[in-house]
Amino acid sequence: MPDMTSLAHPQQRAFNPYTENGGTILAIAGADFSVIAGDTRQSEGYSIQTRYAPKVFRLTDRAVLAVNGFAADGNMFVKKVKQRLEWYRHAHAKDMPLRAIARLIQTMLYARRFFPYYVYNILGGIEEDGTGAVYSFDPVGSYEREACRAAGAAQSLVQPFLDNQIYFKNQVPAPGTSHPAHLPLPTVLSIVIDSFTSATERHIEVGDGLEIYIVLAKGRTLHGTESIGGMQELTTTDDGERVFVVRRDLKKD
Amino acid sequence: MSIMELNGGSVIAMVGKDCVAIASDLRLGNQALGISSSFQRIFPVTDRVYVGLPGLATDVTTLRERFRYRVNMYTIKEEREIEPETFAHLVSSTLYEHRFGPYFIEPVMAGLSKTPSGGYKPFIAATDLIGCLNFAKDFVVAGTASAKLFGVAEGLWEPDLEAEDLFETISQTLLNAVDRDAYSGWGAIVHVITKDKIITRTLKARMD
Repeated sequence: MPDMTSLAHPQQRAFNPYTENGGTILAIAGADFSVIAGDTRQSEGYSIQTRYAPKVFRLTDRAVLAVNGFAADGNMFVKKVKQRLEWYRHAHAKDMPLRAIARLIQTMLYARRFFPYYVYNILGGIEEDGTGAVYSFDPVGSYEREACRAAGAAQSLVQPFLDNQIYFKNQVPAPGTSHPAHLPLPTVLSIVIDSFTSATERHIEVGDGLEIYIVLAKGRTLHGTESIGGMQELTTTDDGERVFVVRRDLKKD
Repeated sequence: MSIMELNGGSVIAMVGKDCVAIASDLRLGNQALGISSSFQRIFPVTDRVYVGLPGLATDVTTLRERFRYRVNMYTIKEEREIEPETFAHLVSSTLYEHRFGPYFIEPVMAGLSKTPSGGYKPFIAATDLIGCLNFAKDFVVAGTASAKLFGVAEGLWEPDLEAEDLFETISQTLLNAVDRDAYSGWGAIVHVITKDKIITRTLKARMD
């Protein structure tokens, strides 16, 4: 016999399909290169699930995608983007251009307009004209090409720092001079590392490890940056754009 | 609707070499609506101590008067000016008196304290709205742009900055932080306290 008292009161149940997994990502475009970085901590509330969960992925030799937000959605989304890029390769015998990947990501995100991937995407790489590019997306596919962008748990800490150091906001150039439109690679790398050490210092969801992807335009060398410890090349061809990754430690507390 | 974010506004203080700086934006708002672009929330306590009061604007006025009264009583009784450390504890106990019905203010203090040898030592401190003190060695922040201020300050600040370099550092930190905060901005003011003078400058800022 059913329990009459429990039937008398309406009961409510809920299932929340989303979680926030912390972490921060960041990308900066140079004149002929692009840098895409993310920390490797994955957390749920105050618990650390793992100290090494990559958020930045090489898509092609000229495109790198960083995903932040709900990790399960992020991994699934990257998997599906990679699959679409493979189909494109089979159909057209070449890698998809960066601006086309950006538009693909928009349509893939908007396809889930009413049950979104709970993820902020930042796409970095080299355009067909050889310029460095960064595209940033919201979870439902609204996107924009920019020179730099931070997203994730420490976006509010990092973005105003980038405004100041990359866009030279609130800085007045000396008379007769002007601010550079693009910074050199070593400067960009120092700013990326400083951004993450700062975010690690003040945000509990950021830390453990840092992965910095560097995409170089065709014919451009690393000049001056080879000395950085632990750099690894991920390029698959030898006459096009090149992809490198630098792995560094961040504080683990 | 959070009472702490009703009127907006942010304050930051930094330590330099034999100097300290305290700075704030000048916005007073009613949620998203801007009301005033000349709302002072940093006040002198003595010649060498300044206090910033970000939070609920009505409590800015009330607390300013309360601190003025209590500092005056201290000066009369002790026949000397209050030291920054002492003032920090005065602020803390004043706020804790209202533990279960607090003033919605998170004060930030900056000053130079006298050493036994006759010199001056930089001092900064901040408290939460019920008076829990934070004596930081580098910088303290409070207000609606606090997360942004933390991020920029952590990137720009370095030890032993001279007065003019400290002014540039605190100004850049404040300006770039409030430009990313809808509730702060609309002008900014900076005070740099050195042993023989106080430099006060209003900054040219974005007014949107």
